[in-house]
Amino acid sequence: MPDPAPAIRLRRVDKSFGAGEARIFALKQADFEARAGELIMLVGPSGCGKTTLLSVLAGTLRADAGEVEAFGRRLDGLGQAELTAFRRANLGFVFQSFNLIPTLSVRENVMVPLLIQGASRAEAVRRADAMLAKVGLGGREDGPPTALSGGQQQRVAIARALVHEPRLLICDEPTSALDKDTGQKVMAMIRDLSRSPDRCVVVVTHDHRIFRHADRIAEMEDGRIRRVVDDPSTLDTPAS
Amino acid sequence: MYRLALNMLFGDRAKLAMLLVGLSFSALLMAQQSSVFFGIMSWTYTPMVNIRASVWVSDREVEQVNDAKPMRDTDVTRVRSVDGVSWAAPLHSSIMQARLPNGNFKLISLVGIDSDTFAGAPAVLTVGRIEDLRLPNTVLIDEWGANLLGRAVTRPDGTVETVPLGVGDTFELNDTEARIVGVCRVKRAFTGGPFVYTTYDRAKAYTAGVRRTLSYVLVEPRPGVTPAELCDRIEAETGLRAWTSETDLWTWGERSLARSTFWWFWRNTGIPFSFGTAVLLGLFVGIAISGQTFYSFVLENLRYFAAIKAMGAGSGLLARMLLLQALAAGLLGFGLGVGMAQAIGRVMIEKGMPPFVLYPQVLVATLVLVLGISLCSALIGMVKVARVDPASVFRA
Ligand SMILES: Nc1ncnc2c1ncn2[C@@H]1O[C@H](COP(=O)(O)OP(=O)(O)OP(=O)(O)O)[C@@H](O)[C@H]1O
Ligand SMILES: [Mg+2]
Repeated sequence: MPDPAPAIRLRRVDKSFGAGEARIFALKQADFEARAGELIMLVGPSGCGKTTLLSVLAGTLRADAGEVEAFGRRLDGLGQAELTAFRRANLGFVFQSFNLIPTLSVRENVMVPLLIQGASRAEAVRRADAMLAKVGLGGREDGPPTALSGGQQQRVAIARALVHEPRLLICDEPTSALDKDTGQKVMAMIRDLSRSPDRCVVVVTHDHRIFRHADRIAEMEDGRIRRVVDDPSTLDTPAS
Repeated sequence: MYRLALNMLFGDRAKLAMLLVGLSFSALLMAQQSSVFFGIMSWTYTPMVNIRASVWVSDREVEQVNDAKPMRDTDVTRVRSVDGVSWAAPLHSSIMQARLPNGNFKLISLVGIDSDTFAGAPAVLTVGRIEDLRLPNTVLIDEWGANLLGRAVTRPDGTVETVPLGVGDTFELNDTEARIVGVCRVKRAFTGGPFVYTTYDRAKAYTAGVRRTLSYVLVEPRPGVTPAELCDRIEAETGLRAWTSETDLWTWGERSLARSTFWWFWRNTGIPFSFGTAVLLGLFVGIAISGQTFYSFVLENLRYFAAIKAMGAGSGLLARMLLLQALAAGLLGFGLGVGMAQAIGRVMIEKGMPPFVLYPQVLVATLVLVLGISLCSALIGMVKVARVDPASVFRA
């Protein structure tokens, strides 16, 4: 089967931080591709540039050089306002530290992406509640997120990331703040709920126990992708 | 999203409370101090309120009502002869020492009014009749002054109580007896002293030895002649100074003696400066407390603002959210502060000390300033949020 056209493509992307002696090259001529409909994981040692790569393809960080293309559109060269509009229309985020707003209710947190897109309040409430039911948190809508366990909070975050049906879901270490069992469940939920023919899911992780949920795994080292593994089961146990 | 912005702030009870403390304290200080300022300033032109006549004629040199320059008695006749004058009556006003029955001396404000017309007589007599002033050696005293000059009486149980002066009581002015035949209710004055009303002629007797006793000529214009027009005519024909008697701060005309008095006190006393300082202090304290609190609210929520930004909220939306949060806090703080100012004011008005006049204009100005403080706070937050890098959401 020939590879479908990639939904996301980074080509020869450079990104450095700082200047002079302290300058750090976080991405060095990095190439990366993700396909529509797949869940791809990005793994590699700490500091190798995973988060930087993720930020570049999410449009929250601009590369110094190279091409960034998402869904047939070039992101490099877009202005700040256009990037913002791109994120608003196409992106869902799941963060390591959840980033749920503690003074808002669970439902209100999930409503945020819809409201930013300009949905009416009634519509946002309806869709948020439906999404919360899908992640198994029906009945907890009115409480504060801080009353929930870590796993439950991450499920709220998943609901928030998917409620507006984004084409690109980005997860940075979604399980590293959770215990083993909860991490597995959360990752399984990300896989099951996000699966869609035209959605592309990129997950950065250190957690080899969740590798099996990936369609492909890209290994990063020192600012570039070293290799892409098509059969994650070969990576299921750490090399060491 | 705006409702969420409000919930975000209102969900943070501690921050909200701090913000409201800062903003309401600021509003309270500004509204309350301004009101006491206007209250004290209104005391400066008290005679204009207590003594009612459309036009006041004075010596050319007079700038403010409390500082009359004596005129000749014949000036009354000269004013009376000006075309458009319906009636003109003499008025005497001076500060004197009263000798009380117990031998103490107290300063009083003596007001001598025309015994034919009683022009300038107090509007409200709680005891007695104005006509009784035609009896020999009689005076009226104001309620508050009656208390002030009252005598201390020790009750059988040992408590000391002040019995106010009343009808029939006497004191001495310049060794001449003054017998109280009535008690009136008048507005308190800046210069303090109890008001003692008597007839113009008897005032002459009480001030024995003073050559000129005419302080003002009170004038009423004929129907169809406005006070301001009459002032022009009187000044042109007599060379004296003529004033209108409007006392409403916001509508008084160029010729108002109350207005001239207000500005005289403004220029020549530290009153505006000291109250202005208090108002400025309120403003700065407000900016400091609420600016600081709002800033720490923004700092604490910065990662959430960054997340919202990463999710695609534009800087305009974020700025409007912050503005709404700050202005909502501002409105609430204003309401609380002004509510407190009014509560304090009510107590002050009951006690009559210090004077308190809360003008709607002061409320509007306070509202504008408090919202200005909120706006400053929001701006500080906006700068912070505008600078936050949406990529920072991935850093723990
Ligand atoms: N905003 C920044 N300013 C300066 N240096 C940065 C910044 N972001 C990343 N770096 C540096 O760039 C390099 C790559 O960072 P990055 O966060 O992408 O690594 P990572 O693979 O995500 O690491 P980890 O597994 O620890 O999350 C690191 O050396 C990091 O210190
Ligand atoms: Mg990272």
